[in-house]
Amino acid sequence: MATDLGAVLGAARAQGPRRARGRRADRLPRPKLSRRGRTEARFFWLFVSPWLVGFLGFLLGPMIASVYISLTEWDSFTPPVFVGLDNYVQALTGDPVFWQALWNTFYYAAISVPLGLAVGLWLANLLNKRVRGRKFFRTMIYLPTLVPLVATAMVFKMVLAPSGPLNDLLGLVGVEGPNWLLDPLWVKPALIVLSAWGAGSATVLLLSAMNGIPREFYEAAEIDGAGPFRQFWSITFPQITPIIFFNLIMGLIGAFQIFSQVYILTQGGPDNASMMVVPLLFDQAFGFYHFGYASAVAWLLFVVIIGFTALAFRTSRRWVFYETEVR
Amino acid sequence: MAAATQAPPVAPADPGVAPGRGATARTLKAFKATPVTYAVLLIVSAVFFVPLILMVSIALSSDQTSAQNAFTVIPTEFGWSNFSTVFTATGLPVGRFVLNSVIIATLSAVGQVLSSSLVGYAFARLRAPGKNVMFVVVLATMMIPAQITMIPQFLLFKELGWVNTYLPLIVPSFFSNAFNVFLVRQFVSRIPSEMDEAAQVDGLGYFGIYRRIVLPMMWPILTAIAIFTLTHAWGDFMGPLIYLNSEEMMPLALGLQYMTSTSNAMQLPPWNLVMVGSIMLTLPMIVVYYLGQKYLYEMNVSVGSAGVK
Repeated sequence: MATDLGAVLGAARAQGPRRARGRRADRLPRPKLSRRGRTEARFFWLFVSPWLVGFLGFLLGPMIASVYISLTEWDSFTPPVFVGLDNYVQALTGDPVFWQALWNTFYYAAISVPLGLAVGLWLANLLNKRVRGRKFFRTMIYLPTLVPLVATAMVFKMVLAPSGPLNDLLGLVGVEGPNWLLDPLWVKPALIVLSAWGAGSATVLLLSAMNGIPREFYEAAEIDGAGPFRQFWSITFPQITPIIFFNLIMGLIGAFQIFSQVYILTQGGPDNASMMVVPLLFDQAFGFYHFGYASAVAWLLFVVIIGFTALAFRTSRRWVFYETEVR
Repeated sequence: MAAATQAPPVAPADPGVAPGRGATARTLKAFKATPVTYAVLLIVSAVFFVPLILMVSIALSSDQTSAQNAFTVIPTEFGWSNFSTVFTATGLPVGRFVLNSVIIATLSAVGQVLSSSLVGYAFARLRAPGKNVMFVVVLATMMIPAQITMIPQFLLFKELGWVNTYLPLIVPSFFSNAFNVFLVRQFVSRIPSEMDEAAQVDGLGYFGIYRRIVLPMMWPILTAIAIFTLTHAWGDFMGPLIYLNSEEMMPLALGLQYMTSTSNAMQLPPWNLVMVGSIMLTLPMIVVYYLGQKYLYEMNVSVGSAGVK
């Protein structure tokens, strides 16, 4: 899911004019397909049938079912009882845990996503200099992103232990580290630390974007007497805003769907301090068999994700720079 | 500007050099690496490396150290035998976990490669009324989060009697997924169509063109798709958690979590063996990534040609 949206952004953009052209071209021969054309069309439908069947059976069908289930009370053992919007009302007004999970997820996304981008940007900018052993540093920073999430969670249980390496590190600078995973105040920051370990993927993407910036810009800036800081903000940053934007959208969607880390490390505890929307949904559905309520939560999550994505797109006009628009 | 996916593109060798050959080449100010640059990079690399080395250190520590939770970041014990005892000492079928992971990941990859190559080819090459509308639908489906369909899908598979089998984790792969279809379509669109036209003149049918002409040229993107599906299925936790409940069926990712949760409050999980399992979960991913790096780059180009900037 995470990769998907970014491609859609681009594809939708690319699709626009092409579709318009296609429509015009289609119009002329449309009324009657030749025999050849009919065979070709038949083969088209035959070839896309795997997707079509999957779309109807695993996506469209379940989506419609999900809307209906969200309007019922259903444990899958007894027949569903239609309750209208009760589940939504219950989530929004009657269930403090839902609001807490939403707030926690928001807290997590609001810090982990910008933090990941900032660290990625910072490291990419360092690696973009003429460093000896760049390949080595890049590998070291990228390696953590190859570790499956379950293994990451396992090792972070140890990293975040009261006498673990993170607190040892904090001890070096004279700070007494908290009991990360058991302290309601620190459990969300702990999950954010875990997410920051994956900053390598943003780093590598941003680095490759930085490599594509023409050298002439920097030469000109140097002649004009701009310092490194000024050059970063006036050349590097605007040139890579599309990649930053892409990472922002992907990161937001991923962060709102956080599940495995929470499930393995904290189970939402202590005291729901790390309960997030998807773990809540999972518990409701597969722990308590409240399928109706869980489906309503899924749709509410969808609305939240779409809302934040739309918001990001809206602001993007102000800060994301596409070179082709200038030409 | 090339596009962005999870795949890290390969960086060109030497940025920051002003144009000019040999002696006239010089480093621009913005690209000068100072000792501070090196210091920061070294510290960051070390910090990023700590969890990895800790994983290895714990995996090599003795049962006693493990029981006391007395781990060190730098390995001091070297109990390589943990790598064999993990299969017997936990009372869990760890070998089976690995086998299950291999089966699920491999069959998912096979399914995705087969189905998305067919569907992507059709979208790239064949003409039919309604095709463009269909493609927009394909793109639109990428926006639907998995949580929406998760519950009805579970109920459907439960109805089919597929719970606690591999089927719910594998079968959907054989119906392709929108992103992979999109990748194949972009890739095939960039292959000149003269060859298929010539083959058509020679009397080859649409399936023959797909099978003999286009499929052999698609393998770079299909390799990328295989790698992505493989890594995704290998690391997937939520799917197996929903569908599998007997130890015999669990893949390694779920089995590891099971290993830590089955021990009661009186005894700690066997952390050294859990970390051996974590290494077994991680190493194949590093190997696959290393071998497949250049194909992942291919994928970037494919997406890039769609206009993702």
